[in-house]
Amino acid sequence: MTAPSHSPTRYAGRWPSRIVLGLPAALALLLLVVPLAALLVQADWSRIPSDLATPTVLPALRLSLTTTSVTAVLCLLLGTPLAWFLARSDHPVTSWVRALLTVPLVLPPVVGGVALLLTWGRNGLLGQYLTPFGIQIPFTTVAVVLAETFVAMPYYVLAVEGAMRGLDPRLESVARTLGASDLRYLRTVGIPLVLPGIAGGLALAWARALGEFGATITFAGNFPGRTQTLPLLVYVELERDPQVAISISIMLLAVSVLVLGVLRGRWLR
Amino acid sequence: MSGGGGAGLDARIALTRGTTEVDVALTAEPGQVIGVLGPNGGGKTTTVLALAGVLRLDSGHVRVDGGLWADSTHHLEPEQRGVGLMLADSLLFPHLRALDNVAYGPRSRGVGRGAARARAHTELDRVGLADRAGAKPAELSSGQQARVALARALATDPALLLLDEPLSALDPDTRARTRSDLATRLAAYSGVTVLVTHDPLDALTLADHLVFVEDGRVTQTGTPSEVLREPRSAYVGTVVGLNLYAAQGDSRGHVRTLDGGRIVTTGPTEGAVWATIPPTAVSLHAHEPEGSPRNTWRMRIASVTMQGQSARIGLLGDVPLTAEVTLESVAALGLRVGAEVWAAVKATEVRTYPR
Repeated sequence: MTAPSHSPTRYAGRWPSRIVLGLPAALALLLLVVPLAALLVQADWSRIPSDLATPTVLPALRLSLTTTSVTAVLCLLLGTPLAWFLARSDHPVTSWVRALLTVPLVLPPVVGGVALLLTWGRNGLLGQYLTPFGIQIPFTTVAVVLAETFVAMPYYVLAVEGAMRGLDPRLESVARTLGASDLRYLRTVGIPLVLPGIAGGLALAWARALGEFGATITFAGNFPGRTQTLPLLVYVELERDPQVAISISIMLLAVSVLVLGVLRGRWLR
Repeated sequence: MSGGGGAGLDARIALTRGTTEVDVALTAEPGQVIGVLGPNGGGKTTTVLALAGVLRLDSGHVRVDGGLWADSTHHLEPEQRGVGLMLADSLLFPHLRALDNVAYGPRSRGVGRGAARARAHTELDRVGLADRAGAKPAELSSGQQARVALARALATDPALLLLDEPLSALDPDTRARTRSDLATRLAAYSGVTVLVTHDPLDALTLADHLVFVEDGRVTQTGTPSEVLREPRSAYVGTVVGLNLYAAQGDSRGHVRTLDGGRIVTTGPTEGAVWATIPPTAVSLHAHEPEGSPRNTWRMRIASVTMQGQSARIGLLGDVPLTAEVTLESVAALGLRVGAEVWAAVKATEVRTYPR
């Protein structure tokens, strides 16, 4: 009665097709893997501890951790409600908002940086109203956070919206007949059931924020201790002491792999 | 049936959802169980969701125990109504224990934690699950989940209990047991129950009054025994297992079906009538039978299905028929799809009643 099941060993094709397809496939794999391997091979592993203790690294590390954490919190506090509205609405405007959200995903980060400058700069769309109060956003730590949030928020919102759309809408109908307001439903049922999606979205957004370079250097500059995050430091050190740059890169690679491992096991397939 | 300001349910649900225009009237007294039956997509679930307040009415009204819940201008949200909702797949909150699922309603309505849990215990006990209070839904069988969902729906003392296909997700054994649990619990419930189902057994064993909804309209209402005796639509005929024909009185002693078939009956034959023939009253013969006044038709066999010790034979001819015969006749007469056969029905077995 059951449908014929697929054999566990899949048909791999005949020799000609293995060569015609296999060669480019192997090339694709090499193009991705060799640079990562190069990083590991070229590194002077014994120097990594002392490299990471270089006076410039610690402030950059601290700055990266603070700004990415603040970005993650902003995603959680602002992105979750946005995801909620997107998930519930069938209004045509919603699909436009969702399309708009994906723009920062594909936008060159430098362009994002320019856009942020035009928004928050001295004469920017919003910045012009802050200038009279002596508030200046560009080239400050706040600018780093804004740049990171700009690139990371879409990842978070789309991940959480997906999780929320996966909820059976009848659960809310039942909860409401039981007397729960929509806020109580959200707090007691909706959010607890999408926690894995929220955690996955946070990890994704945080990793994206940690790697942010183009928008940051354009909008926030490259000032040690204030706006110089780890990726920016890598860029600087590559000129001065490539081995330090490699050591930091390996640390960032390790963090990325760690995040990916956490995501893969539980939330991504 | 209750009037405008009386106790119980007085509703006319009129709204359009998708391509179905629903216009269904329901009335019930406290303690009554209304069975709503009909084909899928006919508007049953829409009716339930409108009663719950999840969907808004285009027109009509919902009054429960004299209070106005909704009409064309007025709409109480689900949380403002006193309504319990139980759906096919139970839909328990998967991250909460059975006890907290049942306590969710009282808690949402402002009852303190201790009192809500005590109430939840009582409700779980009433469905025989006091010992499973600490289990998560995934640790419960499907039948237990259904009983927890019922306890949860009743823990807020709703004036109106809505059961939408409450047993349809259960396997047959579990369904039979859960059906009797449900009957026991409903007997002790003083509000109005609206039970949506497509299972005739649910309707006949649980409901006091049946409402058939087809294509958004009520096609028949009545007590189960009234409906069993005199079905008034092709769907209802199928549900109660009778051959049903819309017919017109012909010469005396005859009616003519709308397809032109002629049926001999001892029942009344004036004007527009329904005619029913029980499948067990049909006898099949290899040759044309002779004798007392009866119907005999030359038929072709369209289907043969086994059902326990008997077989149901679908027959096509002047008067399409379903016959129920013994397995022996199937063998003796060589009944197979495509074969020709004579069907005979005594005139006294054909019941007619005004349409």
